[in-house]
Amino acid sequence: MNENISRLMDGEVEVSELDQVCACLKTSDAMATWTCYHVIGDAMRGSGMPLRDFEVRFIQRLAAEPTVLAPRRRPVAAAATWGWAAAATIAAVTVVGWTAMSLVGETPAAMAKAGEATVVSAARARPAPVPSDYLLAHQEYSPSTAIPGVGPYLRSVAAPALEQRP
Amino acid sequence: MRRPLFPSRARSKPRVWSPVAIVLVAFATSARADDASQWVAHVAQAARQLNYTGTVVNQIVTPNGGAKFEMFSLVHMNENGREYEKLVSLDGPAREVVRSMGEVRLYFPDSKIVRVVPRTFRNAFPSLSPEQQKSLTQYYDFKIVSGERVNGHAAEIAVFEPKDGFRFGHRFWSDSATGLLLKARMTNERGEVIEQFAFTDITVNAKVSRAMVEPSWPAVPPDWQVMETAAGDVAPNETGWAVTRVPPGFSKVTEGFRQLRGHRDPVAHLVFSDGLVAISVFVEPFTAAPSTLGSKNQGGLNAFSVKVDDQLVTVMGEAPAVTIRQIGNSVVRRQ
Repeated sequence: MNENISRLMDGEVEVSELDQVCACLKTSDAMATWTCYHVIGDAMRGSGMPLRDFEVRFIQRLAAEPTVLAPRRRPVAAAATWGWAAAATIAAVTVVGWTAMSLVGETPAAMAKAGEATVVSAARARPAPVPSDYLLAHQEYSPSTAIPGVGPYLRSVAAPALEQRP
Repeated sequence: MRRPLFPSRARSKPRVWSPVAIVLVAFATSARADDASQWVAHVAQAARQLNYTGTVVNQIVTPNGGAKFEMFSLVHMNENGREYEKLVSLDGPAREVVRSMGEVRLYFPDSKIVRVVPRTFRNAFPSLSPEQQKSLTQYYDFKIVSGERVNGHAAEIAVFEPKDGFRFGHRFWSDSATGLLLKARMTNERGEVIEQFAFTDITVNAKVSRAMVEPSWPAVPPDWQVMETAAGDVAPNETGWAVTRVPPGFSKVTEGFRQLRGHRDPVAHLVFSDGLVAISVFVEPFTAAPSTLGSKNQGGLNAFSVKVDDQLVTVMGEAPAVTIRQIGNSVVRRQ
C-alpha cells in the first residue's frame, strides 16, 4: 500500500490502477502515510512547517512497518559488488534485494534469510551496512560534505557502502 | 530499541550576529572571488562552534530516479572548544555515529560491529588550501541569495553553479542568524537533485549535556566486533602513481599510503579537490573479482574501478561519472 502511495505522489500510478489506489487511501493508516510523505517532501523542499509530533508518529509507524525481503535474480556479475543501494526508504517498504545483502560479507545469515523471501520487521531484517574502508578514507576530504561535522558519516550510516574486496 | 527524540527546546535563546555573516550580507549583491571560501569557512565554523539538536532527513536519489530517505537525530556540543556529536538513525536498527574530540565511532547494532575512526588532523581542523580556494571561485559561479526561509528560520542560500560539466551544482541554506547549515542540495548536469539533506527540526543554541552526546552503547559492547578502520591520516609520500588527465579545476590535495583493514598491502591514496568536493584515487594489488570493475553510483557519489597492470585502481568522489572515469582512465605509473 505504501508503495502505491509513494507511486501516486510521484505520478507513477497508471490510470487503470487509479481507482483502486485511491480507494486504499480511505483508511486512517493510509492517510497518515500520505501525510508523512508530504511532510518529508515539504521539509526537503523547504516549504511548510514540520508538525510538532511528526517525528514521534513517524517512528511509531516505522517500527510497525514490515520490510519485504524479496530477492530478485540478477546476473552474478552485477550482483557481486553492487553495494550502494541505500538500505532504507522512509516507508521501509524497499525491496532489499540480495544485491544489498551481498556487500556485507559479515552477515551470511542475512543472505540466507533473504533467500527465503520472508516478511520481517524492519528493525530485525536489515543487514548491517558496514561502510567500505575506501568510503571512510575518502569522505573527510570533501569540503561540501564535511561542512556539517558529522555530515560525511550520514552517508556511511544511511547507505551500505561498496565493499571493493571479494 | 528506539530512543526518543531529544526534547525540543524553546527557540528564544538570544542570537548574536557574527561579524562574518554581516560581511557576507553586505557583499550579497556583488559576490567577490574570495567570498566563496569565506562563506565555506564561516558555515563550517558555525557547525563546529554552536550547540544544537535536531532531526535530519537525508535523501539519496537512486540511478533509476527513485528517492531514498533516512532520518537521523543529531546533537552537537562544543564544550570549551572540544567537540562532541551524536547522530542516530531513526529508522531500522539504531545505527549511531559518535564523534568525540575528533575520534569517530560508528555503531552497527544489527551486525554488532563498532568501527573506530581515529582522530585525524583533517577532521579536527578542516580548511581549504590556497589552490582549493582559487578553484572554488574559478570553476563555480558563486552567489548568495538572502531572504529565504527554511522551516521557519530566516536563511540565505549560497549557490555554487558549475561553470563546466566536470562538477555538480551545490546549494547550501544557512541560518541567517548563526550561519548554521540548515539544508544542502547537490544537483547533476541536468539540474536534477541527486542528494540532499535538511533539518526538519532544529534548535540552535540548545542546552545540551555530555550525556546527550555519549554513545548509547559501551565503548565496546561485550559481544561486538571492533573494526579499527585505520582510515586516519595518509602518510604523505610519493606513491609511484600519477593521473595524467586531471579534469580542470582539480588539484592534488594529498598523496600517500594507508593501511586498510583486511588489506595485506598498503593502499595508495591520492586526493584531488576543486575546493568544494574531493575525488579519491585508490591503488592496490588486484585481488578482487573482475566484477568489481566498472562504474557505480549512489546519489552524488560516483565510483569507477579499472585494472592497470596487476593493480586495482578505484576512483571515488562527489563528481559526475565523466569526471571520475576520466581520472580512472588516466592513472599511470609515474615515469
